[in-house]
Amino acid sequence: MKKIKIPLISLGLSLITGIIVILLIGKNPLTAYQNLLQGSGLLPKPSYAGYKNMFTDFMVFLNTLTPMVFAALSVVVAFKAGLFNIGVSSQMLFAGFIATITIGYSPLNGFIAKPLVIIIGIMAGALLGALIGFLKYKFNINEVVSSIMLNYIVQYTTSFFINTKYIDVVSRQSKNISPDASLTLKNIEIAGLKIDIPLGFVVAIIVVIIIKIIINNTKFGYEIEAVGKNKEASTYAGINVGITLVKAMLLSGALAGLAGVTYYLGLNLSIQPRTLPTIGFDAIAVALFGNLSAIGSFIASFIITIITKGSAYMSSISKVPAEIASIIIALILVFSACGAYIKLKKGAK
Amino acid sequence: MSDYIIEMKNITKKFKGIVANENINLSIKKGEIFAILGENGAGKSTLMSMLFGMNKPDEGEIYINGQPRDIKSPNDAYKLNIGMVHQHFKLVSEYTITENIVLGNEPMKKKFGLFPHVDLKEANQKVKELSQKYGLQVNPTDIIKNTTVSTMQRVEILKMLYKEAEILIFDEPTAVLTPQEIELLLEVIVNLKKSGKTIILITHKLDEVKKVANRCAILNKGKLIDIQEVANISTQDMARLMVAKEMSFNIYKPTIELGDIILDINNLCVKTNIDVVKNVSFKIHAGEIFSIAGVSGNGQVEIADAICGILPCKGSIKFNNIEISSLSVRERVNIGYIPEDRHKHGLILDFDISRNAVLRDYYKPQFCKDNIILKNEFVKFADSLISKYDIRCANGAKTNMRSMSGGNQQKVIIARETSRISKLVIFVQPTRGLDIGARQNIHNEILRLRAMGTAILLISLELDEIMQLSDTIGVIYNGEIQTIKEASQLSKEDVGEFMMGVHA
Amino acid sequence: MDTIIIDGMSFSLPLLIAAIGCIYCERSGIINLAIEGFMGVGAFSGALAVVLTSNIFPQGGIASFILAMTCAILGATLFSLLHALLCIKFSANQTISGITMNILAIALTTFLTKQINSSLFNKPSAKLELGITQKFTIPYLSEIPIIGAFFQEIYIFNIVIIIVAILAWYFLYYRKFGVYLRACGDNPQAVAACGIDVVKTRMYAIMISGALSGIAGISFAYSIFANFSSNIYVGYGYLSIAALIFGNWKIIPTLFACLIFGFSRSLGYSISSMLELPSTFSDIIMTLPYILTLLLLIFFSKNNKMPKALGEIYDQSKR
Repeated sequence: MKKIKIPLISLGLSLITGIIVILLIGKNPLTAYQNLLQGSGLLPKPSYAGYKNMFTDFMVFLNTLTPMVFAALSVVVAFKAGLFNIGVSSQMLFAGFIATITIGYSPLNGFIAKPLVIIIGIMAGALLGALIGFLKYKFNINEVVSSIMLNYIVQYTTSFFINTKYIDVVSRQSKNISPDASLTLKNIEIAGLKIDIPLGFVVAIIVVIIIKIIINNTKFGYEIEAVGKNKEASTYAGINVGITLVKAMLLSGALAGLAGVTYYLGLNLSIQPRTLPTIGFDAIAVALFGNLSAIGSFIASFIITIITKGSAYMSSISKVPAEIASIIIALILVFSACGAYIKLKKGAK
Repeated sequence: MSDYIIEMKNITKKFKGIVANENINLSIKKGEIFAILGENGAGKSTLMSMLFGMNKPDEGEIYINGQPRDIKSPNDAYKLNIGMVHQHFKLVSEYTITENIVLGNEPMKKKFGLFPHVDLKEANQKVKELSQKYGLQVNPTDIIKNTTVSTMQRVEILKMLYKEAEILIFDEPTAVLTPQEIELLLEVIVNLKKSGKTIILITHKLDEVKKVANRCAILNKGKLIDIQEVANISTQDMARLMVAKEMSFNIYKPTIELGDIILDINNLCVKTNIDVVKNVSFKIHAGEIFSIAGVSGNGQVEIADAICGILPCKGSIKFNNIEISSLSVRERVNIGYIPEDRHKHGLILDFDISRNAVLRDYYKPQFCKDNIILKNEFVKFADSLISKYDIRCANGAKTNMRSMSGGNQQKVIIARETSRISKLVIFVQPTRGLDIGARQNIHNEILRLRAMGTAILLISLELDEIMQLSDTIGVIYNGEIQTIKEASQLSKEDVGEFMMGVHA
Repeated sequence: MDTIIIDGMSFSLPLLIAAIGCIYCERSGIINLAIEGFMGVGAFSGALAVVLTSNIFPQGGIASFILAMTCAILGATLFSLLHALLCIKFSANQTISGITMNILAIALTTFLTKQINSSLFNKPSAKLELGITQKFTIPYLSEIPIIGAFFQEIYIFNIVIIIVAILAWYFLYYRKFGVYLRACGDNPQAVAACGIDVVKTRMYAIMISGALSGIAGISFAYSIFANFSSNIYVGYGYLSIAALIFGNWKIIPTLFACLIFGFSRSLGYSISSMLELPSTFSDIIMTLPYILTLLLLIFFSKNNKMPKALGEIYDQSKR
């Protein structure tokens, strides 16, 4: 109960602030918030286009949610080891790019292609993550700096290859992948509806549980946390700090890789060159809001995605600008960051 | 005008309901050396911290030069020319000695008559003059992090003199010094008095009081017991008043037959940035307490780290006749090791007791199966340590380490390291910062292990502790062992000379 | 050649001034990942002032420039107080607080830009269009071969930045304030024991970092990018942090790091245009500064040491 108190208070305060802002611009806050839920398929909209209803909206919502869950987990794992993975975005892009050009453009059938996409995504992300860990371990390069450098390097390098080899001249994006490689089954007709089925979401739920177990119940989890909290004492305990850091970044990168493939080969089918996915940065916020725990970040992803996903519908229906959503998210963070103070004050009493 | 430079009247101070000082009255004359005597936790430091503005009395008044004063901060204290040399030095490690001394009162100069800047040349000159005037030798341009403990202390004193302090409070100044350094410091203190300064000396060392102080106040459990002219009171009487109950100064230590050689070190060398340990050799037998005496920073901690595999080394380390010098920390983990800095090395403060209790054993089969940690076993083990070693904690095995007192934190480490059946336990500064009861417990634990036939390596900066406990003493200076002798064949003064590398 | 120097300088200098601000903050012991947010708010405030007054003060003119600069500094400094509040008053985790500032800054500036555009100018754009401030060329000096380019087509910003940077360097290393500030990042307890107010010193440090980031932000907006929108500064805040870590929290080495970023960027652009490569190749060239930095870091990071008390929550009661 204690654990969720501060996030809940933060959420509450931010929503209240949101109400005030919406009132200030002369709109109805309650309708606006209702629109957020409607846009995420959690409340019924007044009318639907053909083949669509609340359930199809909800599936789209889950599809959007999936990469966010992975990205937040990636941030959590790094944070546990005392590392700040600001390179989630480039790890996502790299994994998405590699999976796209190897499997996405191959004629493989779905049963082989989809698992391969996941495996390649994990490997590509892990490789890049481990590189950051290795640079820190071997050369004492601050992970923030190396991540930022790699963000740029990956962004421009992939852009170069996309622009020279894989470009779709009309959309200015990479060519769409074959539907067999997509982790989301698009527009499947069931019972008169056209539904997107995000297979990645199933993987996400499994992975949340696995990461929770790794952090809380395994030897590796104990070591990661020990290293994150006190490197000297970890050395004294016989833990190889350097290797543990590399392993933690490897795992963090692998999760970012999963985020990458569910984003580029699921939610989307192509890659926009020269652009890092903002999810990688938003995930930091989500992870923090989720108390840096596996289950917590899943719940936080859910809440934050409602706000981001629903904001498009909100702005189209109520004419409340979608940017309100990002302001609310930022405020949640501000209030959560003050949470440490509330804890401290309580301890002093 | 009052005769007294300082008068403290009816001072009472409580912390969270615990009375640290109770209705204390004392007056200090200008130009005297006034000692405040008492055991750890008697309330000496608290009393003086109020004079220095770090704490505020709950009741009572402080008069300086006959005027009632409300000292709210160290800044107020400086304005009243009160300075304090703290037990834990407060120095900026990356700055030079001069920069530290003048911090807050830098001399300024104008470049091209336009740009004011801190005038380090002038400052260096001032520091040099000051150091010569009071016989406190320092090299003004040395960086603090490269200097010795006794130099840092001289810097702290100079800092106060630079601020023109007339009243100087010394908080346990001799705790970390060698006997020779103590002599020097006491001389400095006497010189300061001669030049008209008033000195307050917080200490629990009676011989120092006897040597230099004019008068002394004796505190016990927060109460002022007595104020005496030092000339009129014997050390025995002082000691009696200090502890209120008769205390035996000697620890009962039975003679034990030495067993087999447990640890055999030959030509051990450790290199960090410099050669910190040079060709050190010694042996420890079962049932022997082997101590390494030395001034802080002479390589003793590195020896302990090297034995446990935390630092790489050259030379031979044989444990139970097996060469272990190339093994990993993990493979040597059954050597018990109580490290010097418990917060930095010994514990993970953000973990609870149960997770700390298994810090060096969590991977072993009893705590970890197929890579899954057995948290219930952690808790069970922690509970057993808590009851066996009488560890005081609020929430049992789930208590966060950070919320516990220093003594109980240290108990967790000692419990962990000694509960393992181990033939060798290394203690580094095991009683640093602990009160007298906790010290006694730890000393008893060391003797208990000795009686069980455990080989013990004790590394301490406190000579008293070493003299009391050791069977054999090795003295280290500048990374080299100066001598190894049976404890009975070395006097405290001998050890002190070896520690300074000046024994004839 | 000339364009390499001109472009290189006008990219390096804003980075440098933001990095110097961050050095102030981190040397005082407060982690500052919020540079980007400060830059954004600064650029927004400056740009807004320019747009609102463009009837009175023509865009690109000297009055408009002074106004932009002042408002950028004020806006960013005010915003930085929020970081100070969180880090100092609320003992928040400083890393987290910094990221929060960035997210908040983007959200706020984008929202406000849109609101203002739609209500005042009746267009739904997320950009504030700006002109470009005057450039000028110093006579005689600019005619020296090669180096002369340093004196050609200089934005006024560059001059301001150079002056401020020199002042910042002088204050950090030669004035009491700088001495105390750096001591706060090493051992705040020692500083407090000398009667210096650690909390105040750190607060000023954060505000200075806000002000300098504001200068950086408006310099980008009102010169090379000629508009304000969130994508003109995103990434550059972190880049300047990379520069200062590379420079080991010291101003002069950080200057070199910024010059490497700026010049390899402009060099890359001019090489690709000189060789008449297809525009796609500029992508490959754009990776050069970052690859170069990584390589340099491999050789120079061994002795990298951050300020001792960086990120520690300062507890006044801890003695």
